[in-house]
Amino acid sequence: MIAPDTALTPEMAARDDIITCRGVKKWFGDFQALHGIDLVVKDREVMVVLGPSGSGKSTLIRCINRLEVHQEGDIIVDGIELTNDLRNIDKIRSEVGMVFQSFNLFPHLTVLENVTLAPIWVRKKPKAEAIDLAMALLERVGIPEQAEKFPGQLSGGQQQRVAIARSLAMEPKIMLFDEPTSALDPEMISEVLDVMKVLAREGMTMIVVTHEMGFAREVADRVVFMEDGAVVEINQPEPFFTAPESDRTKLFLSQIL
Amino acid sequence: MSDTQTLVTDDAEEPAASTRPEIPIVPPRRWIKENLFSSKSNGVQTVLFSALMLSIVRWLLSLIFAEASDWTSVTTNMRLLFAYNYPAAQFIRVWFCLGVIIVAAMLTMGAWNAKPEFSLRKMAISTTAGGGFLAVIWFMCTVGFGFAPLQKVDGMSSGLRLGTFLLAALLIALGLGVLNFVHEPHKIWIKFTTMLFALTGSVLGFLWLVPFGRYEFADGEVINESGTVATSTKVPWTYMMLLLVGAYFVGRWLRQFIPEANYRMVMIVWWIVGPSFLIFHVLRDPAFDMGYVFRVDVPMALAFGLGGGALLYALAKPGRGEIARAIGAVLLLFAAYNWLTAGLGSGHLFGWESMLQKARITFLMLSFAVLMAPTFSGEPAARRRFAYGWIGFIAISHWLITGINTPSTLDIAAPPFLGGFVLTLAIAYYVFLASFPLGILMALARTSKLPLFRVMATVYIEFIRGIPLITVLFFFSIMINLFLPNGMSIAELGSVFVGYTLFSGAYMAENIRGGLQAIRKGQYEASDALGLTTVQRTLLIVLPQALRVTIPNLVGQAIGTFKETSLIAIVGGFDLLRIGNSTIPAQSVFQGQKRPALLFVCFVYWVFSYSMSRASRRLETKLGVGD
Repeated sequence: MIAPDTALTPEMAARDDIITCRGVKKWFGDFQALHGIDLVVKDREVMVVLGPSGSGKSTLIRCINRLEVHQEGDIIVDGIELTNDLRNIDKIRSEVGMVFQSFNLFPHLTVLENVTLAPIWVRKKPKAEAIDLAMALLERVGIPEQAEKFPGQLSGGQQQRVAIARSLAMEPKIMLFDEPTSALDPEMISEVLDVMKVLAREGMTMIVVTHEMGFAREVADRVVFMEDGAVVEINQPEPFFTAPESDRTKLFLSQIL
Repeated sequence: MSDTQTLVTDDAEEPAASTRPEIPIVPPRRWIKENLFSSKSNGVQTVLFSALMLSIVRWLLSLIFAEASDWTSVTTNMRLLFAYNYPAAQFIRVWFCLGVIIVAAMLTMGAWNAKPEFSLRKMAISTTAGGGFLAVIWFMCTVGFGFAPLQKVDGMSSGLRLGTFLLAALLIALGLGVLNFVHEPHKIWIKFTTMLFALTGSVLGFLWLVPFGRYEFADGEVINESGTVATSTKVPWTYMMLLLVGAYFVGRWLRQFIPEANYRMVMIVWWIVGPSFLIFHVLRDPAFDMGYVFRVDVPMALAFGLGGGALLYALAKPGRGEIARAIGAVLLLFAAYNWLTAGLGSGHLFGWESMLQKARITFLMLSFAVLMAPTFSGEPAARRRFAYGWIGFIAISHWLITGINTPSTLDIAAPPFLGGFVLTLAIAYYVFLASFPLGILMALARTSKLPLFRVMATVYIEFIRGIPLITVLFFFSIMINLFLPNGMSIAELGSVFVGYTLFSGAYMAENIRGGLQAIRKGQYEASDALGLTTVQRTLLIVLPQALRVTIPNLVGQAIGTFKETSLIAIVGGFDLLRIGNSTIPAQSVFQGQKRPALLFVCFVYWVFSYSMSRASRRLETKLGVGD
């Protein structure tokens, strides 16, 4: 059993808990995907989740904005507990942004409409204001000139950057990244990671599921290693990569590095 | 979050701008050799099937010309076929409607900036092929092969033969000339305006130069008086073609002044509301009792419009979702109670049962609108749009309901004022219009997570799909009035429309369900992750994509609906088919002459169905459904 606040620096430990998972268990039919996860994410922390495929890392972050429903345990996001109460779910979803492996942009809307949709319909922002915000965000992710195009006309890296802008348009407190670069051609990975690095530096709370070890090493405050639906090791990136404690982590790192 | 520092500067390369695809050019001789005579067996098949097709053409020609004189039964009865017994003196109303529809169609093209272009090479090939077909007709009617299935066809007049020959020669010369002497014809694209002028010119030339003879028919007698709007087609069609061209340019011109989105919205609203206006206010011509209108109808519309608008504006304010739902539920209960008390005729509870039907319908609509208010909530401008939308809806619906319930000035012997092709079109239009939302609702219900909706929709769809349309039509034309609340009744055509809509809606639902299933799970997850509500997700993300995928099937269904309106002939409607099949052969002058009229009916159905399917193919390519 690993304490959820393992490896926090004293400065970090003093911050508020923004996500708390206590004994989260999740089954898909007979298959148990999460075996009691205990985890604390601090405000403005960047947490990278590593692990072999099928280890439950995607399931875990999908539980955090309730795209998947956990059956046991508690998840508390920014002081709100995830229950079946629809109002809580809507509230959490509007504060938690999510970026998917397969982008999931809306293909029938232009890039600008993709980014302004949620601010207008969920946040009820005036249209002009939403457009200004969207253009500023597209500028930040480096593709303001693509605003009038449709997602299908963009490269994968550009699409993923639009997806990030779309999530940021909701002005979330937390961003979840579910393998954001796994579906990209190698030459496009860096443009997406660069955007994420700047976000992290600006103090966004992020949970990133990824296989990009370089990114984890450079940006993460803590690295979590999961296997078979359980947390195996939590550590700061330097000790995690140079001196892993558990044998399973060592095996995983030796296979991947 | 507020600084606009650029995170990434190196941009991936833009996808190449799309250019017109190069058409590989194959010379005709090589094309014929490669496609028709590539091998011995291929050559034999080509010859055999050409002979077969020739004999079919010959058979059709013999049908058309064998009883040459009989075509008077069609030419004489044109008015009957298209508008049934619409009074001749009022016929200008029919032309007015046609004119309005032509103008609207052209303005719609302007709104969508539709200006299809045509490859000169393809045009030349079609021209040559058309000329070739005419030449075959001329050959079969003049020379023939002299043996059994391919004999000469008798009966084509010498003038017509000469005309066919000349036209065929002209078309072939034109087509081949372009193909052989114009440099790279596949790179030349003919503008839509050119095509429009060419079409108008040829129709007008055809109308004014080709002698059709004079055949008019009124009240069972052939008459030879000409020149009035009712008995002539030349003059009105000339105006129609001029309107066509004029409206197209007006539509293009309007684009400069009206924001595209507004322009399109106006045209969409027109296509939903306008035809009803034409049918119930132009063709039917209600005689309003102005005193009653101002005493009752206008105040009621004002009260519902302004009161409802204010209520919706207030309830659409963000954060008032709960109150809106509560008020909506109360209004819904009240509306349902009103319908029930009317239905049971159960007396005088609060005196509400005497409420006018129009108020009852409006209350129901208002309760739905209030329930939708949280979905449309937002900034004041958005809420104002919502409220204006309601006021516009009230204005239009009250106007129509008042018009429908007012006696008509039209002096027609038989009760339905619609007949012939106008009836065919009207039924097809309304059935499609009404079954579309029904189909969407049922498809959504069938894919819903709530078992009750799912079961209800499945039962409805599977039940209706297991019954032949004609059974549904019989059932509704007889039975529906028995199920209606006391004091309510529907005209026969109305009940046919209800039955046909329920039938069509079930098939529509299955088509749309196919589209819903084509949407990837990620789209739902992305909408959920952004915090969209279920209604917003459905309206903004799921349906637009699902409908786009469904367009080919929907057009297929529209064509089917259009053709199957012919079944209303069996339950008593005087549509195009019934007039061709029963009415004309029953006229004393044309006793028993079915063949020409039926051929003509086929032709009319085919022209419309084929145009629709061509238009849908264009739409598909434009929306990128095909790839």
